[in-house]
Amino acid sequence: MNTRRRHILSGYSWLMLVFLYLPIAILVLYSFNDSRINAVWSGFTWKWYISLFDNRQVMQALANSLTIGVISSILATVLGTAASLAIKHYSLKWRNIVNGLIYLPIVIPEIMMGLALLVLFSQIHMELGKATLIMAHVTFSMPYVMVIISGRLADMGKDLEEAAQDLGATPWETLRYVTLPLIMPGIVAGFLMSFTLSLDDFIISFFVAGPNSTTLPLYIYGLVKRGVSPEVNALSTLLIVSTVLLVIVAELFRRKDSKTITY
Amino acid sequence: MKRMKSLMIGAITAVLAFSVVGCSSSEQEAQVLNIYSWADNFDPDVVKDFEQKYNVKVNYDVYGSNEEMLAKIQAGASGYDLIQPSDYMVATMIQLGLLEDLNKENIPNMKNIVSTFQTPPFDPDNKHSVVYTWGITGIAYNKKFVKEQPTSWNDLWNEAYKGRVIMLNDPREVMGMSLIKNGFSNSSTNKEELEKSFADLKKLVPGVVAFDTDNIKQKMIAEEAWIGTVWSGDAAFIQAQNPDVEYIIPKEGATIWADTMAIPKGAKHKELAEKFINYLMDPEVSVKNYESIGYSNPNEKAYPLHSEEYRANKMIFLDKADIARAEWLVDVGDTLQEYDRYWTEMKSGR
Repeated sequence: MNTRRRHILSGYSWLMLVFLYLPIAILVLYSFNDSRINAVWSGFTWKWYISLFDNRQVMQALANSLTIGVISSILATVLGTAASLAIKHYSLKWRNIVNGLIYLPIVIPEIMMGLALLVLFSQIHMELGKATLIMAHVTFSMPYVMVIISGRLADMGKDLEEAAQDLGATPWETLRYVTLPLIMPGIVAGFLMSFTLSLDDFIISFFVAGPNSTTLPLYIYGLVKRGVSPEVNALSTLLIVSTVLLVIVAELFRRKDSKTITY
Repeated sequence: MKRMKSLMIGAITAVLAFSVVGCSSSEQEAQVLNIYSWADNFDPDVVKDFEQKYNVKVNYDVYGSNEEMLAKIQAGASGYDLIQPSDYMVATMIQLGLLEDLNKENIPNMKNIVSTFQTPPFDPDNKHSVVYTWGITGIAYNKKFVKEQPTSWNDLWNEAYKGRVIMLNDPREVMGMSLIKNGFSNSSTNKEELEKSFADLKKLVPGVVAFDTDNIKQKMIAEEAWIGTVWSGDAAFIQAQNPDVEYIIPKEGATIWADTMAIPKGAKHKELAEKFINYLMDPEVSVKNYESIGYSNPNEKAYPLHSEEYRANKMIFLDKADIARAEWLVDVGDTLQEYDRYWTEMKSGR
């Protein structure tokens, strides 16, 4: 009975894994497909990886995605960290109200947020483009940064900061040598989270993109009518590989940090 | 820890420096052409040649449907100089006052275009638009499964192909097909004609494997579908991947469509956009461009310059008689609601 149950459970976990990874595996597989279209397998090739780098459109979209991703996640991380530090000093009642307001953008439908931003930008006659995309991405990723960092700050408590100040540290020194190092893993995690969100986002970007700011998701969506080329599969494969590497590096940093800083 | 911080600071400085450099270099560039179009709609080399010849920069952004493009342009803050609406969307945009008048003095090559496209019903004098790519919705079929060559829309109703018929996912195209099959105009506003064609269409629905514009090529190539309504340019693409697929234009006639070039109201670089339109309609440039993207060239002056292979392809070099039989979809006004109602009823009744 017991072993049977274990078999069923392990079978179930395998099924779950297959369910999660099969689509990605197929995507990767078809990046090596000789045919121009993702319908039939017609032989192995590397040619899409080579032609990928000649495809100006794909490269431009990739460059746009990376530029917007890096700038918006740096801004979101800096602003989000500062805001979390400020909120920490509020009284409980205010903290709850402000927290509620900050989490709201996470739960409202993306499509509403996209529309709202589009209306805002056209009301103030701001030309759509990279700048509006960056602003929009900061807007939706900052709450995530704040959630992560507020959690980290709550775990930390007030003891260490108070001790530092008792020992004569100025507020700046406390922030610089005590608080920031302690929440650094949260900051890094928040940055990576914003970067991933920015790279992934389609719906909000769709509304606020303008000339010369097509991001990868927007470009891939645009390809649907003509048939998605295997170059996109190749690019996605490269992105998946680099994301996995990035996550591993971040995880290593995090572990190293929690080992050196004990509290 | 320290390393991480210097890394972060380094990254920030790099990005800021990069964006400052990026801004200043784009200011030096005097002329920029912002195109908003379908993906892969130009030969990349043709665009590059244009940039070099006129010392300009072309930005090329993409949309997936006419309605998306319309929404962006209507939002009023788009900043695009050249767009590519399809036929019916040109009519809509003219009505909404969203298109600039083309200055024909800047586009002398406009006279190169086939006479049929000089007077399309959606923009009779080519005042706001020029046809760029075009095609006819006909029947594509796989001769391995469809032994007898189809000649009529009626062949889609053949019991032998039940469950293997594929259709475009578009109310006007599909209703238009059934209207043509029954001997009416594809843009009929007559209630009885619509009723009759709809009843006919409903009989076809159980045999349809999918209403799917986006994956029609995949499904034909993979032989999931044997026969269906396919755009001529797509049919050429399908045949290149699966030589068993053939294409015909039924004897009753068919729907012709076009994507155009037009300039949205308030475009900042209107003259440059006109220069680009003129450049694309240069016979030699157009040969290079259309052979690369695999669509039908509306440029009559270019016909003799095309390669044997391109000219021999019946799906790209469509027969004059077929073109004469084809009919544009025109605005049906309030009857559009009827089309949508039938469409919903048909799809939910499955």
